Amino acid sequence: MAELAEKLEILADSAKYDVACTSSGVDRGGRHGSLGSCSAAGICHSFTPDGRCVSLLKVLLSNACCYDCCYCVNRRSNDVPRATFTPRELAELTIGFYRRNYIEGLFLSSAVLGSPDITMERMIEALRILREEYHFRGYIHAKTIPGADALLIHRLGMLADRLSVNIELPSEESLHRLAPDKQKSAVLRPMGQIAAEARQNQRELQLYRTAPKFAPAGQSTQMIIGASPETDRHILTLTEALYKKYSLKRVFYSAYLPVVQDSRLPALTTRPPLLREHRLYQADWLLRFYHFSAGELLSENEPNFDPYLDPKCDWAVRHPEFFPVEVNRAPLNELLRVPGIGPKSARRIVKARKLQTLGMPELKRLGVVLKRAQYFITCNGCLGAHGSRSEIAGALVDPKAFGVGMQQLSLDDFLPTALPDAAPQMHQLTGQGMPAQEAAQLLRQEAVTCITGRM
Amino acid sequence: MHYRADVKDLVYRYDGSFAGFLCCVFESFAHKEVPLAIAAPGQAQLSLYPEREIVTVETNARRVFAGIGRLGGAVRYRLAIAFLSGEEEKDMDLLRFIRRAFEIGPNAAAMLGDAAVCRAWELERTVQNEAHLMIEFLRFEQRGNMLGAVIHPKNRVLPLLRAHFCSRLPDESFLICDATHHTAMLRRGDVVQYLPMDQYDPEPDAAEEQWQRMWRRFFQALTIEERRNETCQRTHCPKRFWQDMCEMPLYQKAGRNREKQ
Ligand code: SF4
Repeated sequence: MAELAEKLEILADSAKYDVACTSSGVDRGGRHGSLGSCSAAGICHSFTPDGRCVSLLKVLLSNACCYDCCYCVNRRSNDVPRATFTPRELAELTIGFYRRNYIEGLFLSSAVLGSPDITMERMIEALRILREEYHFRGYIHAKTIPGADALLIHRLGMLADRLSVNIELPSEESLHRLAPDKQKSAVLRPMGQIAAEARQNQRELQLYRTAPKFAPAGQSTQMIIGASPETDRHILTLTEALYKKYSLKRVFYSAYLPVVQDSRLPALTTRPPLLREHRLYQADWLLRFYHFSAGELLSENEPNFDPYLDPKCDWAVRHPEFFPVEVNRAPLNELLRVPGIGPKSARRIVKARKLQTLGMPELKRLGVVLKRAQYFITCNGCLGAHGSRSEIAGALVDPKAFGVGMQQLSLDDFLPTALPDAAPQMHQLTGQGMPAQEAAQLLRQEAVTCITGRM
Repeated sequence: MHYRADVKDLVYRYDGSFAGFLCCVFESFAHKEVPLAIAAPGQAQLSLYPEREIVTVETNARRVFAGIGRLGGAVRYRLAIAFLSGEEEKDMDLLRFIRRAFEIGPNAAAMLGDAAVCRAWELERTVQNEAHLMIEFLRFEQRGNMLGAVIHPKNRVLPLLRAHFCSRLPDESFLICDATHHTAMLRRGDVVQYLPMDQYDPEPDAAEEQWQRMWRRFFQALTIEERRNETCQRTHCPKRFWQDMCEMPLYQKAGRNREKQ
């Protein structure tokens, strides 16, 4: 047992940079004679001190890699402890954790153990034990190994709920430069195969409701942000294309965290670009739930997101002609463009206004956050609030960019410091010795002035 | 039927049950009055105002319930969920909601612009949210021959956990002990029972400690130091849940049987 714990530690530690950890996309009730269920919205079971959700047992089957991707801790030439699970150990761990309500299921990926095919066969065996011997009905997300045989991908898909193929880097050049063993085609081919099989499966399911399901929660991918020079615009356009072409369910971004010294990579002292990652997620959200397109959010002249404004506010600042929006009449997709109104609030508004005319107090009761929205809406012709340009800019800037947290030095000694996901300028200023709160104030003022100027 | 009523300087006292509450509603309509407060057992006498004991009469409760049923599923559902709230004023809030709902009719549930409707909706959401968080953060332990968990919720969420865990663990027996409200939900075979419970035995054994150690190790290995952001952690997983989560720093192993002392 102690040895198993050791393995678990090594293989969880190597898997932690994979960001995707969601159990969403399938609804499956429990059934006698089996164990587990799935809920479409996904369930988080814990949150680590870095604020990320733990939903699945996220581990590698093995970290003994025979490839040498230079950005990766597990690359062949790196000196780290190595471990490999047997398929049965992995299945037992999953069941033990699942019964205790620690996890929703398994997220299995692996380093390349000998060859892509051998690795995939072992992964398939672990999933087979779970599904066939333990009759496990919880969630399984499996990452395909680039270069594996199409038949193995098919078998994996029959056992897993979600498959992912990591694109790793946002362009072929970068991939070529940083991961010499991998090719873009080796990434895109399985992605295409999975998309095609999923469509085929859809047709079968229409004919026979009981046809076995192929990866019912779809596929996702992940790319590393900040290890290579691509712009936000490039990344977002790629994201949009992936959603369209391969019907991906999610694209995940992972801020590059230097783990190795290499002349091809940012220096070891580089901070992970967490705010940039956050902006990309916000934009990704706008693509998926707000009917925005990549072309609307970024242009050739402004290929990167503003660190101080979330992409939706940024769009609003650039499109004054669109506002104000009348809450009692505007269609849903227009409501969705108002800063501060999300899909939930928008739907509530549409529902509630059928029964009564909405004014500001009613909106407040509906739970609509008005801090930003008030400047962009009218209630029956009345502007929600009048504000000077600088007041509006002040409401729009994203406080996250100036985040200050408390670092505990000793029991009763606290030092305000810039949060890890604050704007890079914050880290620069505090790095030069400016107290965090002062830096936050200064930068905020600058940002407000700049945004006011743009309006 | 008309719904005018006078506010009376009077406190209803009832037995705390749902049927009892419905009888308070009945009383309020029957006397065309709205009390100042409704008190459940254990709730201290709030004021100098006289109290009226509301006796739970099954037939009255049924009549009110049938009446509410005519207002549509959403109203009835909101009432049933919001009633699980642990807030002291919930009874009055819900009485106001029902009175308002009878005025408005079947649209009442959706009329969130209205203050009384909105308040009931808030209660409903708070209870639902907590139940959802419990589904996420509850931790089972192997205790004796079944799985057991201890939780400290603000609201009486046990009934909202039943369906989820019965579906998730179709062939397991389990017990969830709500230590705040001294109630337990026991599932054995296909039967679910709610029982009063002050103390939970047996304790988990050594093998169980092993599993917990393993889970803690996994949890620690997963943390990326360079991204450490405890504020974010606490927004998603509020500290009050930590006492029952074995991977968290505030986990109170000794505290699980606090009720003993
Ligand atoms: S193949 Fe995967 S595990 Fe192996 S070095 Fe490359 S990224 Fe790392």
